[in-house]
Amino acid sequence: MAAFVPFGEALAFGLASGPACMAACGPVLVPSLLAERTGIGHNARYLSVFLSARLLGYLVFAAVAWEIGALAAFLPASRILLMGAVNIALACVLFWYAYSARQFCAPSCSSSKLVNIDRKEDRGAPGAAALGLLTGLSLCPPFVAAGIRAAQLGSVLQSLLFFTFFFAGTSVWFVPLAGMGCIARNQAVITVARMTMVLIALYYLSLGIAMLIGRKPYGY
Amino acid sequence: MATKACLPRIVHTPPRGIGRSILLTLPILLWSLLMFSHPQGAAVADRLSLIAGAITGVFMTVLFFMMMRTGTTYRWRRYFFVSVGLLFPVGFIHNIVAMRGTMGIPVEEMIAGRTPFCFMPIPLLILPAAFTRTLVFPGSIVPSGGASGHGIAAMVGIWLALTLVMGKGWCSYACFFGGIEEGVAALPRRAKIRKIDPRWRYGPWAVLLAMVLLSLALFEPAYCMWLCPFKAVSEYVAARNTVGLIQNGIFVLLFAVLVIALPLLTKKRTQCAFFCPFGAFQSIFNKASVFEVKIDQARCKPCVLCQTACPNLSLTSESVAHGEALLSCMKCGACVDACPRQAIVWHIKGTEMAAKPERARLMFLYAAWAMAVMFGGSIIAQGLVTILHFLPLGGI
Repeated sequence: MAAFVPFGEALAFGLASGPACMAACGPVLVPSLLAERTGIGHNARYLSVFLSARLLGYLVFAAVAWEIGALAAFLPASRILLMGAVNIALACVLFWYAYSARQFCAPSCSSSKLVNIDRKEDRGAPGAAALGLLTGLSLCPPFVAAGIRAAQLGSVLQSLLFFTFFFAGTSVWFVPLAGMGCIARNQAVITVARMTMVLIALYYLSLGIAMLIGRKPYGY
Repeated sequence: MATKACLPRIVHTPPRGIGRSILLTLPILLWSLLMFSHPQGAAVADRLSLIAGAITGVFMTVLFFMMMRTGTTYRWRRYFFVSVGLLFPVGFIHNIVAMRGTMGIPVEEMIAGRTPFCFMPIPLLILPAAFTRTLVFPGSIVPSGGASGHGIAAMVGIWLALTLVMGKGWCSYACFFGGIEEGVAALPRRAKIRKIDPRWRYGPWAVLLAMVLLSLALFEPAYCMWLCPFKAVSEYVAARNTVGLIQNGIFVLLFAVLVIALPLLTKKRTQCAFFCPFGAFQSIFNKASVFEVKIDQARCKPCVLCQTACPNLSLTSESVAHGEALLSCMKCGACVDACPRQAIVWHIKGTEMAAKPERARLMFLYAAWAMAVMFGGSIIAQGLVTILHFLPLGGI
């Protein structure tokens, strides 16, 4: 019974810190969801891919954290380097997403009127996977806390399970975002989503560069 | 494009008589007297604020009188609005420099919750407050001394009350930033850039969405921290580190581009039309406001003069065909004044469009000008006090 205690703890911790995780992923997830097709089912599929990739990111990090030890994994210097790289990668994916949304929009948006967007091919899956993986690797405060706790466990398997339960707890908070499928997509919504992605990508890019070139951006 | 050949027949409104115009101006005169005849504080400051108040009261009353007399709105409103835009930095900067010795907000002031609160971050506070019952702004709800003015609650209260009545009219009668770019846009005789991609109109919505999401993620008012062009003429984060330097660089760059260069080139309020997230947020309240601008299809000939006149790109061929301005309309009156056939009119929702549009205009202007006297007028008076303070006025 005692063996299951850490996993209950992980689930509770995930549920408790879910809003913080959702807030941290929001700038990436909301505009990319808005750039997708309308329909709750489609948005739910997109969200599933995103969350699965996020779980993969969690597990990769859990394995690494357990393997090299929590202290090494969360040293400020290595943390800043990892965060810098992840931020720049996130920015690149968002730029690509904003650009590719234009291509998919082009045939339907030639009219100046607001029109419903429809398309046959599924562009969202690779983008959702890339964004999910990168946000999974981002070191938001709840994630760091979970990582330190996971590294204290006896084996790598336990560490992975801990992160899986933690992920399940946080994911509950993401489910309502599938409701964004109810928003009708038209030229205005797609354009706003693309512009938003560019702005957020610029933010991540500047932060990532500042971290990678070794500056202490906040002076400490 | 509008050519001489396709210009429609011009219908001139005869000016009101002087007596009737004075009669209609009386309520505003009384309101101005009420607002500006109560000096407070020390004797010298008393006299200066009395002089500044008298000038402001006369200024506001004369402008309203001219609106009544000529039947036009935009030109007279612009005099007021540009005055607010120019005098706000004068009074505000003087005030904070006198208190702190610098335009930069020291970290200690932020920790103490004494950062002055303007209306811009209001939309950014909503989600974090809903999730955590915390205000992500280093100010305080009630007045807390320093330069924080009357606190966040007072500003939000004033904004909410006025917004429910005026909708996005706030952006033409109350915003103390927009006047700078409106003044700059008025300088050139002709626009150098006339063709503007209409998709830039979505810019404010994108900035709003990005800033709301980042404010929630970073737990800070992201727009104030990173993108507000008016930090260049009000106050800014003291640049104590690399981030501070980058932030201030962004503020100055955005101000130079959006508030100076682009208005000069386009004769539009480019910061408001393409960037301001508060403007996008305010557009939503145009649905709640009873006042709107309508286009009478029977009178309208598509001469696009209204589209050219609109400083905010709130009129398109499609919206004109639908008989209304876009959601982003700031109710400045430029299109109404520009229309040679008086096809564009002020309108009160729920009433017949043909039913005395001048009455709708009057009702809107009384609400808007009362707000302008109270809010913008006090800013003008404060700026004038600062200027008078530095003038060699001898005994005064």
